[in-house]
Amino acid sequence: MNRKVYLLAFFLVALAAALIGIKVIHGGQVVSYTPAQHLWRVSMILNIAGQGARAKVRMTLPKKTPRQIIYNEHFEDAQMSFSISDRTVTGNRMGYWRSELLDDSRSIQYSFSTQLKSESFLIPENLELPEDPVAAYPQELQPWLNASELIQSTDPKMKKLLKKIIGKDKRTHLVLRRIFNFVVCEVKYQSEIGSKDAKETLEKLVADCGGQTRLFVALSRAAGIPSRMVGGLIMNDSVKNITHVWAENYISGTWVPFDTTNDYFAYLPNHYLELYRGDTALIRHLGLSKIEYFFSIRKEKMPPVDNPWSLYVLPIHFQSSVKFLLLIPIGALVVTFFRTVFGVATFGTFAPILLALAFRQISLGIGLLCLGIVIFFGWILRKILDSLKILVIPRLSIIVTMVIIFIMAMNVVAFNLGHQNILYITLFPMIIITWTIERLSVIQIEDGTKAAFKAGAGTILVSVAAYYIMEIRELHAYLFAFPELLLVVMALLLLLGRYTGFRVLELWRFREFKKARRRDIL
Amino acid sequence: MIGFKTVRELGLLGMNRRNAEYLLPKNERRLYPLVDDKLKTKDLLYAHQLPSPELYFVIRHNFEVKYLREIKFLKEFVIKPARGAEGRGILVIQGKTGDQWRKASGASLSMGDIEYHVSNILAGLYSLGGVTDIAFIEYCVRSHIIFRPVAFQGVPDMRVILYRGIPMMSMLRLPTRESDGKANLHQGAVGAGIDILSGVTLGGVHRNYLIDHHPDTNVPVAGLRIPFWDEILETSAKVYEVFRLGYFGIDFVIDHLLGPLILELNARPGLNIQLANREGLLPRLREIDALGPGVEDLKWERRLEISRKIAGKTRGRF
Repeated sequence: MNRKVYLLAFFLVALAAALIGIKVIHGGQVVSYTPAQHLWRVSMILNIAGQGARAKVRMTLPKKTPRQIIYNEHFEDAQMSFSISDRTVTGNRMGYWRSELLDDSRSIQYSFSTQLKSESFLIPENLELPEDPVAAYPQELQPWLNASELIQSTDPKMKKLLKKIIGKDKRTHLVLRRIFNFVVCEVKYQSEIGSKDAKETLEKLVADCGGQTRLFVALSRAAGIPSRMVGGLIMNDSVKNITHVWAENYISGTWVPFDTTNDYFAYLPNHYLELYRGDTALIRHLGLSKIEYFFSIRKEKMPPVDNPWSLYVLPIHFQSSVKFLLLIPIGALVVTFFRTVFGVATFGTFAPILLALAFRQISLGIGLLCLGIVIFFGWILRKILDSLKILVIPRLSIIVTMVIIFIMAMNVVAFNLGHQNILYITLFPMIIITWTIERLSVIQIEDGTKAAFKAGAGTILVSVAAYYIMEIRELHAYLFAFPELLLVVMALLLLLGRYTGFRVLELWRFREFKKARRRDIL
Repeated sequence: MIGFKTVRELGLLGMNRRNAEYLLPKNERRLYPLVDDKLKTKDLLYAHQLPSPELYFVIRHNFEVKYLREIKFLKEFVIKPARGAEGRGILVIQGKTGDQWRKASGASLSMGDIEYHVSNILAGLYSLGGVTDIAFIEYCVRSHIIFRPVAFQGVPDMRVILYRGIPMMSMLRLPTRESDGKANLHQGAVGAGIDILSGVTLGGVHRNYLIDHHPDTNVPVAGLRIPFWDEILETSAKVYEVFRLGYFGIDFVIDHLLGPLILELNARPGLNIQLANREGLLPRLREIDALGPGVEDLKWERRLEISRKIAGKTRGRF
């Protein structure tokens, strides 16, 4: 029998290994975090306050491109209507938060993960500037050739400067190099509030990334190369509200990046996240009395997955409940371990798991406190009901009702005291708590207070242990990436199911045998 | 604490090994209800003319609670849940004064208290897994006179554990003040090992501690000769033929008038019997397994012989 169990356990582990192997090799899933991958998690927090009228916030959202993968996006709508739409000319992805009447403060949250790659381009040396740019490029590129309000590419001064810089040269890569060098060398960098336009930058020769880029774009357009601004974020582990802009020129069929501020010529490093194209703003809003935003950026551990048979394909808001489900077998494993190897008594098998899951939402200390309060008052109520001789089922129902009243009362009190996360105690397993109260009372009457206390302490011990194991972040990441690991959990449970050794508490229970043995010798 | 190694050397049986190697393979699942439901056990015992306390009547539904009025003519009786776990929900009434009944502990109960207790039983408060249950009222056993000096209230019982039909180890369980007249070790009763050969008690155990004297009466628990011992062993071996469980315990009581009666069977007997006997179960279990297949089908006389032989071999720890 044992051999069959070991074989089955081995088979399960092998199956899990094979499935994970297939995923890694064919699904492109990555087993471990490597810094070279440049995975980031970005949370954007937007604090707004309304004026008591119609309010609208528009923000450009990052888009999936060959060099940047966006995944695990999560939107918090803050009770506003939320929609996403794509712009036609720029192709920007816009998120809109709207409210018909906004008269209080809200916090909008948008978070996503991204994997970035660096990109470098080689400009063909024999490529020459077209004689007639308007005729040379298709209709959809025309907006990137024309002058705009802040990019005055047709200004006579601009034309004059361009001639001075490039002379008679017609080769694209030389022209671009000269324009780039002019902006890098002649325009001094200085961070400022509100960027200058191209003309002003040219006059003052001092600008931030916005002014520098506008000048570069203006000169490129004047030379007859479609050019546009790109806005984005420079990634590092930080909290910041500064975005960055650079330029993109259309050269022989592709958009080639140029960053004059940080001196990247036809190259984009792997910590640049693109958010929008064109000379636009990251955020536009209407009807707000206050707006502030910041990005919180940190390195991401979970690799992106492009596999139709993985949990990643589920909609984002379902993923969190799946993560929740994945933890239940882990909790069951902890409970099984404690019961078969240590011999700890608990109230019911699944109570510790559900309690641990609830503690994860509330935080351990407050969770234990709330549980203690609920069980204590439930137990007193149960005593009162017992003296009134209430039948079992109605009595249980009364206790459930009381538990719920209590939890609601605690919610209101905690909210007024400013403890938001207590609200999660609505996740408390009410029915299980009710049964725990009932069992506690019965054990207390039948087996004594000590036995009741022991089982209670066991339940808390096991649920705290399960809580700490469920808190391991790597466990979440790996379980979600490879739910096949549950087969390994099953294999471990099978082995525990054939564990015939002593429970640790039995060594304590049989400790008196030492005495018996000593008597033998005497 | 004692080490893993010592435990193994002593041949102690742990909970995991009991479950995985003895209970699960040797006890057929379909036979459990016969043992877990005390009414079914009683029926079977009665059908095979094996002695057990007389059943007075059964209450299956809440509306039948009103028939409890009949008990007003009874002075002594026991109310039990048919599927009570670990001795829970057993109410022993030992006398009546006026309208009030008296419990073994001396506490008095009204008709309403008893009705409430019965409806709790019916709702499954005391049963395994909380399933709805049946209550029954049976003859109240009065303990044999020999136990009077040592027992504190309640009725002492004898547990015999059989493995493959062979009585393997036994103990006397003495109620204490702590156990409220119940003979369950985990509720605080005292256990004293019984030598299978002679039926004489050995030293005792109370709450995992080895003791020599009863904690309430302070009378030595060792050296008590169990009356009807051979009859008890003989009945045990015969009970096996009816229930065919590979590993189970039989609880006997000795009534002062009726002699040995089977109180209940237990398909998951506890492990503290080892402490009561100061001896591990494993050597005896292995001894029986060494006899090979077919032990179960031997005649009861033959199985008793084997039982005595094995008990004699491993005796001598005192």
